[in-house]
Amino acid sequence: MTGILVLQSLISGLMIGAIYGLLGVGFSLVWGAMKVINIAHAAFAVLGAYLAYALLKMFGLDPVLGFFVILPFLFFGGMVLYRYLIFPVMRARDIVVSSMVLTFGCAIIIENLISLIGSPDPRVFTTRYTGKALFLGPFAFQLPQTVGALMALGGMAVLYIFLKKTHTGKALRASWQQPEAARLYGINLKRISMIAFGLAVASAGLGGIAMGFVYSFDPHTHNLWLIYIFLVVILGGVGNVLGTALAGLLIGLLNGLSLAFFPYQWVNVITFGVLILILLVRPSGLFASEV
Amino acid sequence: MKPFLKTLLFLCIAGALALPWLSPPVYFVSLLFIVFMYVVMAESWVLIGGFAGYLSFGHGAFLGIGAYTTALLMNHFHLSPLWVLVSALPAGAVAACIAAVIGYPALRLRGPYFALITLCFAFVMELVVKNLDFLGGPEGLWLKAMGIDVGLARGIFFEVMFVLMVVTVLTVRHIEFSRFGVGLKAIKEDEEVAQTLCVHTPRVKLSAFVLSAFFPGIAGGLYAYYLSYIHPETVFNIDISILIVLMALFGGGGTFMGPIVGAISLSLINELLSAFLKAEYARVIYGLLFVVLILYLPDGVMSFFRKGKSADT
Repeated sequence: MTGILVLQSLISGLMIGAIYGLLGVGFSLVWGAMKVINIAHAAFAVLGAYLAYALLKMFGLDPVLGFFVILPFLFFGGMVLYRYLIFPVMRARDIVVSSMVLTFGCAIIIENLISLIGSPDPRVFTTRYTGKALFLGPFAFQLPQTVGALMALGGMAVLYIFLKKTHTGKALRASWQQPEAARLYGINLKRISMIAFGLAVASAGLGGIAMGFVYSFDPHTHNLWLIYIFLVVILGGVGNVLGTALAGLLIGLLNGLSLAFFPYQWVNVITFGVLILILLVRPSGLFASEV
Repeated sequence: MKPFLKTLLFLCIAGALALPWLSPPVYFVSLLFIVFMYVVMAESWVLIGGFAGYLSFGHGAFLGIGAYTTALLMNHFHLSPLWVLVSALPAGAVAACIAAVIGYPALRLRGPYFALITLCFAFVMELVVKNLDFLGGPEGLWLKAMGIDVGLARGIFFEVMFVLMVVTVLTVRHIEFSRFGVGLKAIKEDEEVAQTLCVHTPRVKLSAFVLSAFFPGIAGGLYAYYLSYIHPETVFNIDISILIVLMALFGGGGTFMGPIVGAISLSLINELLSAFLKAEYARVIYGLLFVVLILYLPDGVMSFFRKGKSADT
């Protein structure tokens, strides 16, 4: 019986891990491509979840479909944000530090606008399939969780194909490996970065909706999500999409396992403790940084 | 320093020392106490974060460690509350020791990796303290109340925190222009080059980290008694850690003046905004402040005053 319990926690851990992975991939994209640490990334995720929630409440639109409605808004919102806020800051002496202060400001603004317009109490998606589960042999797959994990996997696959196969994606990778050389080859860095930022914000929105299927969310949850995003990205290696995705799964696994064996309040302690140890042994992440 | 500035500085110090005895509203004394505390925190953060370029996102944890050490000492030895002035020093020492233990492995990591591991450390500290029963667990710890008038107590703490702030600022200022400080700045520019120039980088970094944990530890001890009830979520709050970093960066992290400007302006603005506006509006404006500031002064407030001077400092 315990074997099944362990496997069950592994499965739900992996599902959550996929969502962490998606959130981390977008974050890592921005960090790798333009050296911007986007503290507001998790706030965009919460924003996406809230927008989907509003669509669900007002029009009864399923959050999965709702994502396609809000996708263009998030994408263009991200592009505008890059053009008018992030791009002017690129002239700072220390982009990492300045961008952190800037996006921290954005995170506060988003958080409080959400709690002004909506309300600060925790929300959870209630759809037709909430509380239902799929049984495969002895294992139960909770439907909302499964939907969230599938969304996350889909999002990661799209991002991966975009980066590896499309012309714009290749240009993006080139511009973060060798910005000067990329520019010499006629790549418009500003346009490319704008697209990357838009994509990152959109993927954050998707990740937020996926999270909304698993956990309840309120305007302040983005702080905890951000710490997890940080963990995933650092563990996976900055700018390494595949590594980030794997790291997300690994952290989910770790979370699931410790949940099976330890009381709930120690789970985060164990997760962070193990990660600190990993970082001390492998200071630049588990997976060597490749672009 | 210009004579005018010097007089102004002396007037400020004299005014601050005299303030609590002129029976002002207790609110002002408390507000300034918090402002001074943030100056201490941001100023000592600059040692490791500003000079050496190692962004520590876990400095709030040292405040919490100091607070809990003092609280435990007081409750365990049943010391009279006025002993807090003595027991705050061991609190600083304990914070420094923990910093040494954490810093030794963590300082091998660079850049964002160091930032992350310190953030995790602060997070883990909060969770651990919340789950350990002898530290009060999730209920927190009560400290014995002082048997004296509130105004008088606040006045005493105000003066002590003020002295601590002056000591911290002077220490950091001294270090900035010493060999030690130059070594730290060399590490920020290029750690390998610094090492080839005979800067013992691991030792220099570790001493800066330990020292930068010592002052917040003392401040935490004072803060614990000032609150007289400590709770993991108030003294180990991650927001404090992030706020310290922002204060130092807001003013411009590379010098001892930056954090003073940043800590004073940010904490006063935050206080004024939340005194006059609905909480959410206040926070939105607070956030806008960061955005606008960085858009116009990407290198911090202090860069505005240094524009005339050489740009490469």
